[in-house]
Amino acid sequence: MTKDKHELITGGMQFFGQMSASATHEIKNTLAIINESAGLLEDLSMMAETNPPLSPARVNDISQRVKRQVVRADLVVRKLNRFSHSVDRQTQITDLEKTVCFVLDLASRLIEMQGVVVKVIPPLSHIRVDTNLFYLENMIWKAIETACLAAKEKKQVKISFGTDADTPSIWFSMETVKDNLMDDLFGSKEDDVLLAYLNISIKKNKENNGFCLLWPKRF
Amino acid sequence: MKQAYQTLNVSKKNSIELSLKILLVDDEKEFVLTLSERLQIRDMWTAVVFDGKSALDLIHTDAPEVMIIDLKMPVIDGIDVLKQVKQTKPEIEVIVLTGHGSEQDKKKCMGLGAFAYMQKPVDIDLLSKSLKKALEKIKANKSPVI
Repeated sequence: MTKDKHELITGGMQFFGQMSASATHEIKNTLAIINESAGLLEDLSMMAETNPPLSPARVNDISQRVKRQVVRADLVVRKLNRFSHSVDRQTQITDLEKTVCFVLDLASRLIEMQGVVVKVIPPLSHIRVDTNLFYLENMIWKAIETACLAAKEKKQVKISFGTDADTPSIWFSMETVKDNLMDDLFGSKEDDVLLAYLNISIKKNKENNGFCLLWPKRF
Repeated sequence: MKQAYQTLNVSKKNSIELSLKILLVDDEKEFVLTLSERLQIRDMWTAVVFDGKSALDLIHTDAPEVMIIDLKMPVIDGIDVLKQVKQTKPEIEVIVLTGHGSEQDKKKCMGLGAFAYMQKPVDIDLLSKSLKKALEKIKANKSPVI
């Protein structure tokens, strides 16, 4: 195995681990709520032996709480399952906006932890590229994570898409960025290997506090 | 001023007879409100906040004896809350209750002075035992040395 391939696979595994850890943490939170709700029902039924009878409304309220958590956990499991299938094919035709929205959904908890609001401006028409879906998701997450880290004060990140259909691009812009941070964005060996594998380059735009993932011009 | 800490005090069956003020800090609202109600059923006085900043504000106005905190919370996480509590109010005992339980996190929290480190979902009896031990430690620290 070449050094670059090793770097690519290791980075991919870290990404997979990060997303899985976040999803399983959320599932654990839903299980904790279900556990406490069951415990509360047990407590209330014990109390009902000596105190006034347990109100049906109270039981219904707890039952609805459990149902909400089952729906929540089901959504997380669906996301994780879809993510796991990203590795099914070496390359596939992939819609950029849909992939960005999926990564945002998958990593919503991690983004929320940083207190950043991310807004997606949809493109006028679908932009599709033939690529490896898993590593594209990996690159998009790196870009989102970098933008969230760079955003300061208002902590807002806007994601938009280039208008030139022959040169696909995804733009990440922040209202304000931390001083000098724009110079240091990307540039690690791992970033370079991933970008080269996906045939993407990074274009920085200091004036607009942003950067983009840029695909080569199609002929 | 509205009383921050409340109890149900309706059943003696589950009571562990604690006159203990407990502050629960977790951004999972349904979890923390349900856990709070269950502790109140066990005759404990509880208050609930949903973020680290509110917790740090409350310990300066109406300090609890024990805090139960989650680790992963937006903006100020549980580790930062633990650090600040131990720096400013070291007499408060902190129980970390998290769904994200790595050995590394546990080591870090215990090193920062946490009283206990527990995993979600938690057994209420184990949590109650831990709270009782925390109370015993607080009482022992308060009793005069002869």
